[in-house]
Amino acid sequence: MRSSLDVSKRALTGQICSERDFDQKIFALRLAEALKKCDIRYDSEVLIPEDDGMADDLFRAAMGFYASVGTYCLDTERIIRFDESEIKEGLRVAPSEAVFGEGLDAGVFRPRRPESKEFPWCFIGAGGAPVSSEEVFLSLMQGYGMIALADAITTPELTQIDGVPIRVNTPLEIYGAIRNAVLARDALRSIGRPGLPIMNALATAASDTALIAALHPLYGLRPSDGYFVATMAELKTNFELMNKASVLTALGARIGTLAGCVMGGYCGGPEGTALTVAAHHAHGTLVNQATYHLNHPAHMRYVANSSPELLWIISMYAQAISRNTHLLSLSLNYTCAGPGTDMALYEIAAQVITAVVSGVSIEAVGLAKAVHIDHLSPIEPKFAAEVAHAAVGMKRTDANEIVKNLVKRYVDTIANPPIGKKYQALFDMKTGRPSKECLESYGRVKKELEDLGLTFEW
Amino acid sequence: MKRSLLSQKKEILDRLRAAVVAGDENLVREIVKEAIEKDVEPLEAIESGLIPAIREVGEKFEKMELFLTDMMMAAEAMKAGMNLLLPKIPKEKIPRRGTVVAGTVKGDIHEIGKNVLAALLVAGGFDVHDLGSDVPASQFVKKAEEVGADIIAASALMTTTLPGQKDILDYLKAVAKRSEHLVLVGGGPTTAEWAEEIGADGYGETAMDGVKIALRKMEEKAKMSAL
Repeated sequence: MRSSLDVSKRALTGQICSERDFDQKIFALRLAEALKKCDIRYDSEVLIPEDDGMADDLFRAAMGFYASVGTYCLDTERIIRFDESEIKEGLRVAPSEAVFGEGLDAGVFRPRRPESKEFPWCFIGAGGAPVSSEEVFLSLMQGYGMIALADAITTPELTQIDGVPIRVNTPLEIYGAIRNAVLARDALRSIGRPGLPIMNALATAASDTALIAALHPLYGLRPSDGYFVATMAELKTNFELMNKASVLTALGARIGTLAGCVMGGYCGGPEGTALTVAAHHAHGTLVNQATYHLNHPAHMRYVANSSPELLWIISMYAQAISRNTHLLSLSLNYTCAGPGTDMALYEIAAQVITAVVSGVSIEAVGLAKAVHIDHLSPIEPKFAAEVAHAAVGMKRTDANEIVKNLVKRYVDTIANPPIGKKYQALFDMKTGRPSKECLESYGRVKKELEDLGLTFEW
Repeated sequence: MKRSLLSQKKEILDRLRAAVVAGDENLVREIVKEAIEKDVEPLEAIESGLIPAIREVGEKFEKMELFLTDMMMAAEAMKAGMNLLLPKIPKEKIPRRGTVVAGTVKGDIHEIGKNVLAALLVAGGFDVHDLGSDVPASQFVKKAEEVGADIIAASALMTTTLPGQKDILDYLKAVAKRSEHLVLVGGGPTTAEWAEEIGADGYGETAMDGVKIALRKMEEKAKMSAL
């Protein structure tokens, strides 16, 4: 495993390069070369391929690509590079399992394989979506914590503190991050699951200062929670992100490296995006010293990952990584439609089945692109975890037919999706109970999935 | 003889369009110099060479037949050609849709959405001044004043950087320049409601929407000036 010190040295001494040249002359050109070497092609009829050779080719090409491109450091305008043997060594010594949480709520996150009978790690909740108030934050967190299949929770993001909008790089962000930590732990304590891990701890802390401030044990977070260190699109970092990784590593905390590769952006089409997502696993392991890898590739236009191309991308990178490494990898799904809609449930089912059958675990769910304030509810993450468990052990060919069938139900509405309703309209915040409308949609779509061949034990 | 000159000109313009589509900045410069030497009218080189080429790239980008790198390289190639041709055209004849100052707001270092917007605006015929990311409100306004921008386009990707868009409007009001520049906002957490709340002139959910709104706003502005 590379140390933060070693990564910092490389950031200060690596090849000098302008950002424009990195994007256009290094990243784009070498991606095109890497794609020429591996024969992978998107096929709208086969969203979940069962060609192991294609997955392995993609993996080899992605690692070779990362060795030739590296990670760009925006602050030093230099490239952090690792050769193929260092990448291989990094992947070999990366965590092959990790304990998250404490006491009776602790669990072991293990790697999976395509068609694996191992249950996926269900990291569920808000996907970092924004909420308007602490009251909504607490109520949602309690709802998420009560989901039986929740292995870990993803909190919402506070947007205000005492009525003042939170702004990055200000004291308000520090107060917001502390409040986020305290409220999240209090909510879980209040429902009797105090040890349940929060794996996107500090969704409200974008800056290194706010993250570091809220790490004080007084506020309730622990090294056995999970902390995100993001990557800038594509394969870029900066000292702020490296500062986060350095502090978290020193504390023995679990780092989740976050990659949101954009299809249609620098990655190009589906093939280039799948390859780039796979390459980000090497970046996350070496530069961010990640314990787990969270991937949310997104469509440039729809900013979600439920379109057919994105489902193929999820399946391809998941198979490439899970067949060739023991990395702990998760797929985060962002839907176009919002809470309380059948469409969001179809999108979630398609995304979750694709990820689980292709060998990774799940984070669910960023509803309506996680953009609209208070547009989230516990019913969708609960549904996601239940579908994830129902998809365990399914053959890729069978899953492909089910997913294609689901896609047909929403693909024509992707460009103009319903954004759904706010949490306050879908749930009774006093009792934490969903509305009749919400339950009917949930029951209806689950029944449709049973008709398609899924067996629910939950 | 006339026919041969015409076909020679057509051949140069065809090559110019192909070079822009290929995003080959150096080749565009060479062909533009050749066009000038062979008496192709500079305005014709722009209107029948550079502009249709960048439009073609924009259309292919929308259909996802070309991607961001292709788009950015084509936009830069077009700019290289424009830089050689514009000084040879009388100011009043210069074709222009409008001038845009674009950037990502203070505290936010996400650039990809803004880069797409900037490239698409160039394809749409706008003169674009890209300030990059983490740009303070004062810098947006200073640049807009300097280049006489019609539009300030401000992107934000995080909920906690959204207020940076409002800062631009506040700054414009504070220096009594609000009526001089249209302000368009966009980026992940931006919504139509937010744009309305802060008093922005428009909002684009995607970069493509942003260009459509910029074009519409410029048409409205032209109609207003004609009254």
